[in-house]
Amino acid sequence: MLPLIFQALASGVVTGCVYSLIALSLVIVYKSTDVINFAGGEIVMIGGYLGMFALLFLGLPYVLIFPFGAVVIFALGAAFDRVVLHKVLGRAAPGQSILVAMVIATVGLSYVLKGSARVVPYTEEVRRLPPLFAGEPIVLGPVILQPQDVAIVVIAVVVMLALWGFFAFTLTGKALRATSQNPRAAALVGIPVRTMRMTVWGIASALAAIAGILLAPKLLMTPDMGVIVILAFAAAIIGGFTSLPGCILGGIVLGVIQNLVGLFVASNAISVAPFVVIMLILALRPQGLLGGRVVAKKV
Amino acid sequence: MTKRVSLRGALFGAVAFLGLSAPASAAEPGLTDKEILIGLFAPMSGPLAAFGFDPLQAAKMWYEEINKKGGIHGRKIRIIVEDDKCTPTEAVAVVKKFATVDKVFIINGGSCTAAAVAAQEFVTREKIPFVMLNAAGDGAVIPPTRYVFGAFGGTQRTVGATIMEFAIKELKGKRVAFIAHDDDFGNSNWGTAKAVAARMGAEVVAIERIPPRIADVTAPMLKVRAANPDVVISTAYPAPAVLIAQKYAEYGMTKIPLVQAVQGVPIPAVFAKNVGNPAALANFYYGSPLNDLTDGPKQQKWIDLYKKYYPDRKAGAFMTYGLPSAMALTMALEKAGKDVTREKFVDAMETLDFDTGVLAGPIAFAKDRRDGHRASIFVKFDGTKHTLMPGTYFWNGKDGM
Repeated sequence: MLPLIFQALASGVVTGCVYSLIALSLVIVYKSTDVINFAGGEIVMIGGYLGMFALLFLGLPYVLIFPFGAVVIFALGAAFDRVVLHKVLGRAAPGQSILVAMVIATVGLSYVLKGSARVVPYTEEVRRLPPLFAGEPIVLGPVILQPQDVAIVVIAVVVMLALWGFFAFTLTGKALRATSQNPRAAALVGIPVRTMRMTVWGIASALAAIAGILLAPKLLMTPDMGVIVILAFAAAIIGGFTSLPGCILGGIVLGVIQNLVGLFVASNAISVAPFVVIMLILALRPQGLLGGRVVAKKV
Repeated sequence: MTKRVSLRGALFGAVAFLGLSAPASAAEPGLTDKEILIGLFAPMSGPLAAFGFDPLQAAKMWYEEINKKGGIHGRKIRIIVEDDKCTPTEAVAVVKKFATVDKVFIINGGSCTAAAVAAQEFVTREKIPFVMLNAAGDGAVIPPTRYVFGAFGGTQRTVGATIMEFAIKELKGKRVAFIAHDDDFGNSNWGTAKAVAARMGAEVVAIERIPPRIADVTAPMLKVRAANPDVVISTAYPAPAVLIAQKYAEYGMTKIPLVQAVQGVPIPAVFAKNVGNPAALANFYYGSPLNDLTDGPKQQKWIDLYKKYYPDRKAGAFMTYGLPSAMALTMALEKAGKDVTREKFVDAMETLDFDTGVLAGPIAFAKDRRDGHRASIFVKFDGTKHTLMPGTYFWNGKDGM
């Protein structure tokens, strides 16, 4: 039984890393704008298809489809904020909360993206991006991993570290953090809040696109693959919706729990497990595993 | 007074006489002396359009062929086409439009089970014959209801029974692992598969019921491997079917035959490309309700006919699936005679038992049977080459019921 458990754990970490990346894209938007992005899954899907089209029709080398997808989807996310959310925000009466309208706008974006993907003939069939690294499976004692699995973990870790470095050490990153903690104070010290919001949407979308390209060889692509965002929400809630390290941990915990439930309970309990865990977390530790107290209140 | 009563009586009599002596067809919606109006629907857009577009075109082609030969009892077939996108709400809206706006005589349509099941209640209440196009439609045809006929490609009960029998008879399976979804499709195919295994004395060493949107099949495949089966059967949908084949190879199970139901391999070449590992297909088989490979000699005449009608479109893998329902419908109209009514049409449908030249087995209905087709063939596929396996496998209509 032990070899089975090790295999389930290893595979759960791999899948969990992808959940973490998508969860990160949701959490940085939420932390900076208070908006829950219901189009996160569809941005993942568009990222995957974009990677495939870049590979097949533009002939880009595999390693370049990540930056290519990230840049294009960065522009899409930033444009969505500038063209849609900014307008919605501008129509709020003083003192009126506009959050519901903004969340509905993200739901609208999800439908637009899914509908757009469906009219492309190539999306009629289930498609798969070839793996980044092919070759013989890597055998580590009882654990068998595909080279692609290792690539997923490595790329996810690199992206997470890059994101941490960006927020911790760059001026723009610090400005983004300031904007997310207190937009009014940030504006008073000269931070262009509007540009920061666009940047956040761009970065979050680029992250989702990278997750989509990583997922596409593993999960297969259909216009409906965006439903995976539900698992990313679960990961974010488990880790703490306001904590970036928390949602990384939440994604990995979720991937592992799904596999252990599949192994020890039943395969058809795999889809229920995340929601049971969410309920337990909300009941026992509502702020999530790493979500601490809010240290700076918005004014 | 007597005289007035007599006059009223005479008027009633005349009306009654006219009503009774007029041709039965005059009272039937969508039926004139020169025309039979049929409402035809399928998913023509949306993610599942591949399942319905070509079958609908094939049915249209068949009706055109009948019209070219003079129609049925002097009546030409006219069709009205609608798109249900494979969604239950759209399907119900379409059949209501056919009944109330277009006033069709018969409805022929549906490529997806959920949509066909959703339409069942309305057509039954309105007593409109509903001949499904190519949906499996277990829930719409079992238990039988008078006005609904379907499963021209076979129900999931047929899929489950035939795939298990193939695994036991042809692949000598004694310890079988079965992977099915935890939805109605899975309930139906697992129900009959289990019964066939019990009847034929095979042991099901693992049964994994997986969610249709599963992202990682590690756990179920680890359990399948641990059960040490001699055949693995999967009735999963296309995306999980690919994941299963990949893990099956990854875990070194390729010496064990893997049999996949038709729904997981809609287009074998695309399936092979998605699996991306030739080793996964070294011992791979898939089921089909057709009488030959999709481009085999028995299917070729239909492909050629399709090319004649639609020279700009290459026939998709599901094209011929649309023909049997149109064949059955026109055959029943012929049998029902010149004075056809909806009720006579239903009675005629119940007597059909014929070979389509398209499917592995005959299409047959009866008073207590509304699923038309109960046969499958199996194909060995190594990623490029398709090899027909011997024999045709049938569900007996009893296993799993």
